[in-house]
Amino acid sequence: MEAKQKSEKFVVPIGPQHPALKEPGHFEFTVDGEIVTNATARLGFVHRGMEKGVEDRNWTQGLYLMERVCGICSHVHAMAYALGVEKLANIQAPPRAQAIRELVAELERIHSHLLWLGVAAHEGGFDTLFMFSWRDRETVMDLLETITGNRVNYSANVLGGVKIDINDAQKDALRRGMDFLEERTKHYLKVVTEDETFLGRTRKIGVMTYEEATLLGAIGPTGRASGVQRDVRVDSPYAGYPDFPVNIVTSVAGDLEARFVVRIKELYESYRLVREIVDHLPGGDLTVKVPRRIPEGEVISRVEAPRGELFYFMKSNGTDKPERIKVRTPSLCNWGSVLTTAIGHKLADMPMILAGIDPCFSCNDRMVMISGKKTETQVWDWEDLRQYGIEYYK
Amino acid sequence: MTIGSMLGDVVKSFFKKPVTEKYPFVRQEAPENLRGKLVWDPEKCTGCMLCVKDCPSNALELIVLDKVNKRFVMKYNLDQCTFCAQCVINCRFSCLNMSEEQWELASTKKEPFEVYYGREEDVKFLLEKAARGEAEESCKED
Amino acid sequence: MNITFPSLIALLLFPGGLFLLGSGLFFEYLDRKLVARFQNRIGPRWFQPLADFIKLLAKEEVIPAGTIKSLFILLPIFALAAALTAALSVPLFGFKPVFSYNGDLIVTLYLLSMMTLCIGLAGANTEDRFSIVGATRALTQLFSYEAPFMLAMLGPAIALGTWNISLINQGATQQSLWFIVSQPIGFLAALIGLMGKLELPPFDAPEAETEIVAGALTEYSGRGFGLFKIGRDIELVVGLTLIASFYLGGFSTPLDFLWKVFVLLLITAALQSLFARLRIDQTVGLWWRIGAILVLCQLVLIIIGNTLSPFIAPLLGG
Repeated sequence: MEAKQKSEKFVVPIGPQHPALKEPGHFEFTVDGEIVTNATARLGFVHRGMEKGVEDRNWTQGLYLMERVCGICSHVHAMAYALGVEKLANIQAPPRAQAIRELVAELERIHSHLLWLGVAAHEGGFDTLFMFSWRDRETVMDLLETITGNRVNYSANVLGGVKIDINDAQKDALRRGMDFLEERTKHYLKVVTEDETFLGRTRKIGVMTYEEATLLGAIGPTGRASGVQRDVRVDSPYAGYPDFPVNIVTSVAGDLEARFVVRIKELYESYRLVREIVDHLPGGDLTVKVPRRIPEGEVISRVEAPRGELFYFMKSNGTDKPERIKVRTPSLCNWGSVLTTAIGHKLADMPMILAGIDPCFSCNDRMVMISGKKTETQVWDWEDLRQYGIEYYK
Repeated sequence: MTIGSMLGDVVKSFFKKPVTEKYPFVRQEAPENLRGKLVWDPEKCTGCMLCVKDCPSNALELIVLDKVNKRFVMKYNLDQCTFCAQCVINCRFSCLNMSEEQWELASTKKEPFEVYYGREEDVKFLLEKAARGEAEESCKED
Repeated sequence: MNITFPSLIALLLFPGGLFLLGSGLFFEYLDRKLVARFQNRIGPRWFQPLADFIKLLAKEEVIPAGTIKSLFILLPIFALAAALTAALSVPLFGFKPVFSYNGDLIVTLYLLSMMTLCIGLAGANTEDRFSIVGATRALTQLFSYEAPFMLAMLGPAIALGTWNISLINQGATQQSLWFIVSQPIGFLAALIGLMGKLELPPFDAPEAETEIVAGALTEYSGRGFGLFKIGRDIELVVGLTLIASFYLGGFSTPLDFLWKVFVLLLITAALQSLFARLRIDQTVGLWWRIGAILVLCQLVLIIIGNTLSPFIAPLLGG
């Protein structure tokens, strides 16, 4: 039995159910002792058919469906959708609404990065950092609950503006919250860059050079940690970003430690932005009327989710239901970097490399059908899909 | 390069109270913007049905008893509601709002999840009609 | 205290047997509670480990295909038996050890390593990749942590000139200076060696939850898993007792035992919560080099001290 095992490749599945993954996804690492020699991935476990579902709902209902693509980046999905619809209908939301959209988006970025810090620390076995960073994340969750009414899925957007307003008591709460979080973040930056045991798990692990990053198409903080200067908030500002701009944060090291540092420094930027918006919130209405039937057209809407660039393609045919919405989420672009940088590292580094790109599996699953033979568009109904699935697994 | 950089945190938290809230024995106040259960005021409703049209999960149903005299009963499916508050925004007469006190909505039976809002007599009328309708149907089956 | 218990009672009830099992569960509770308090959480209640154990005993034991069935069922029993036997020569709870003879230090240390061997074998027994990787890591860690731990335990033995644990305990109570002060390096090596043996964080690479699910014990469930867990708890008790008795001045009464072991547990829990998990190559690399060097230096110092003491003592005035 030993001879047989030596000649076959030893494949460790980090599989749909695994304590390392918070959401299902299948990875197969071919291992030689402890060194990984090959990696493959299979996604699609959280496919919910949202792109199809939104075609049956009117524009307003679609907003709430799209918000639920992901739990951690729900506001940016809704914002991208709302911005796209407003572009199609050729209207501009009022400045106060845009500023509040940016405020909630930055608060969401803070919450997502703190969540990621805890999860990545947990993957590396550093449970204390996990517990402490999630304790501090409760501050921003409480702030979001005070402002928007819910801790996740904030539903702050409506087509044409926002539905929430900020009064003075909330502004004070926001300022206090930001002060507390900034002090704690300074401490975490020190821990992440100076703790010996943690550096042993993150320094020089998962190095991705600038050329590799541009070749593999890494975006978001993963790409910025390798020096790729791409940030949608800076390249093509949307919502309130023309008035309250953000500074791009990059690093050149390209290893796991750089990804930690980039995200923590982005937290500083977010704190600064939240304070600025709270101090200079423009006056005015909150919404603008949007017609029920959106005029025909196609539009592209890009926003910067906490994980990278979120891309919406929206097509309208003049009725009150969308014709086609295509969502390309940032995590989809970063998988290539995982599979390439994993080779040559030890098996014990795999969970941290996986966590380093901040994967959000539920954002990911869109159906891509590559059929080499046919070139015209196809419409499949339910029976065709079932039959295809049955044939595929035979 | 430090070893044990979280030492300060660790030692301090040994002497502090734990940060865990012992819910349900200790309950925090809900913020005033919390989007809890939906509440409908039948007096000002004109029956425009904008709330029903835009609900993402079809949780609202407006049953018309008398359109001229504006007698409506709203059937609210609590288990389908996503608490998005779009209906609150849509209503031009402020009939709807989301309560910040009723947010502990778990239940072991199905009945609390079908909520009927309206004037007392309207709701009673509707429920009796439904009961009679069911009784007639079961008679028909026999 | 010089109470000697009749063998059968000691074996089954007190201070071995059931009382030892109960105290193993209690120590696990203390450890988890302390770690939780260090992380600003509440932690489990006092009966949590007992509830876990009872629940595990009640669950169905699934024997996967491709294993050697008899080995699968017997290994947890061996591990628990080894831990319980090791406890018989150790001054548990401040009472004299039940079976005490010359050379029982070596036998006890060997019995304590049986647990890791059993875990390694249990992992290698199955065909599950996670178990095999975990078993490899467990056995690798065994090599690098057992040797310095044993050498560190030998430090006080050499200083007192005996291999008998109860005599070492007595000698340690009569020393004017605790061994932790005169052999600090040995104490450090012993404590870290114990954490490595028991696979406590940060040395828990063999059972890294986020990488290989549960390491060598992935396929175990129900009774076998419960027995392994409680065997590990008993090993924690025995190991802490040994270190406290050798380095912290021995026990003469149960009260002595309680506060000394509690201090050790506090230090262990603090060490558990301060560090990230070390990779298996880092743990082995770290301790094979540094640990062995430290302990060897310590032994050299002790031998020098022993050889020179007949000459130095008269100079110091006795």
